[in-house]
Amino acid sequence: MTHEPGTTATTETWRPRARAVVLWSTLAATALLLTAVALVLSWRADLPDPVASHWGPDGQPDGFASLGGFVGTIVASTAGPCVLFAAIGWFRGQAAATRRIVAGATVWSGAFGAATLLMSLAPQRGLGDAAQAPGVGTALAVSLLAPLVPAAVAAFLVPADPPQAADGQVPADASRLPVADGERVVWLRRIAGGPGVGIGAATTIGMVGVTVALQMWTLLLMPLLLGVLFAAMFAFVVRVDATGLTVRSRLGWPRTHVPAAEIERASVIEVEPMRDFGGWGWRVGRGGRVGVVLRRGEALLVERSGGRSVAVTVDDAAAGAALLNTLAERSR
Amino acid sequence: MIWRIDPGSEEPLYAQLVAQVHVALAHGELKAGDRLPAARDLAESLDLNVHTVLHAYQQLRDAGVIELRRGRGAVVVQAATGDRAPLEAALAAFVAAARDAHLTTETATTLLKEAMKR
Repeated sequence: MTHEPGTTATTETWRPRARAVVLWSTLAATALLLTAVALVLSWRADLPDPVASHWGPDGQPDGFASLGGFVGTIVASTAGPCVLFAAIGWFRGQAAATRRIVAGATVWSGAFGAATLLMSLAPQRGLGDAAQAPGVGTALAVSLLAPLVPAAVAAFLVPADPPQAADGQVPADASRLPVADGERVVWLRRIAGGPGVGIGAATTIGMVGVTVALQMWTLLLMPLLLGVLFAAMFAFVVRVDATGLTVRSRLGWPRTHVPAAEIERASVIEVEPMRDFGGWGWRVGRGGRVGVVLRRGEALLVERSGGRSVAVTVDDAAAGAALLNTLAERSR
Repeated sequence: MIWRIDPGSEEPLYAQLVAQVHVALAHGELKAGDRLPAARDLAESLDLNVHTVLHAYQQLRDAGVIELRRGRGAVVVQAATGDRAPLEAALAAFVAAARDAHLTTETATTLLKEAMKR
């Protein structure tokens, strides 16, 4: 019996928290963007008309637009992702981890839009002709990286889920593992690799190639950051012990912990990464399920209080599930 | 694999870990090339001193079962040796005989240990 999260009254306690995070992060992103819009509009008298709005591979401006047109394009291309993130948080924000990602991504987008406006227009102040606008390699790098700071603050401000004990007993038909009184037991597995590594490596190398071709050396920071991110996303230790389930990247982050007392039931499922989670790595999947997905096939599914659930693709998941059910029962 | 520790047992804690690796090898649950958990992780979960786990790993290394490599941790180098079917059959017979004689597990184990020393 697997129930879809969000179907009963008792699983709805996350909704106010999710709505609050969506609202304040969207407000913060909007405030950042509108402040930048107001600022660049106040520069109108100093800016060439039209302004440079696009730069070619040689670093020379090759596209021009009216100030209003350029601002409108940036606002629209910032709003799009923000709406998507808000929808994810609003409808699938059961887990604090998901709400953190939503808050961080929303604030990053707003700050990126603001930084793009400021960094591309500030150097054009006082120019008679937009064709004289300087290159934007460094401006682009700053616009991409500086927003990481407010994004990290936003993610940090999202509170962790409050403790919420599972209701009722572990179902009788859930598998168990015999454990003697006083015996200490742990199930430990490493998971690593999978198709995501190849995709991550190809993306990183591709970005290095583009950066070298354009000779925008400051942009090398982007593939560097991506490389670290991919390294963190594709090697985990999965641990089941008396404290519950812990999934931790070998770099220490990201990590998640499900206390034994919050586990409704553990079981084994088959995961199809694209269909269920839209890809590989640390994912938010259908119904708000958090996935640590490195490959297709066997996965340990942990259904948690409050309509939350975590799936981890790992071999020998049946042993982990049986031990988790036993430990969850003990914790009651 | 599942690791168990019984703090009430007379068998030293590190020896319990060593025995489980041997059993896992015998059952094919561990194969050559598999990596044992980081000593720190195992110690934390089983509420053991990390030196207890390292002691067990050193014993396994001295027995030629694992290699300890910096950065790679403990790697199994020796798979289950040979055909264990005769041993399993003899063990089943031994257990059956011990039950017929109403021996406790402790007594039967002691008998086996003494026989191994001869």
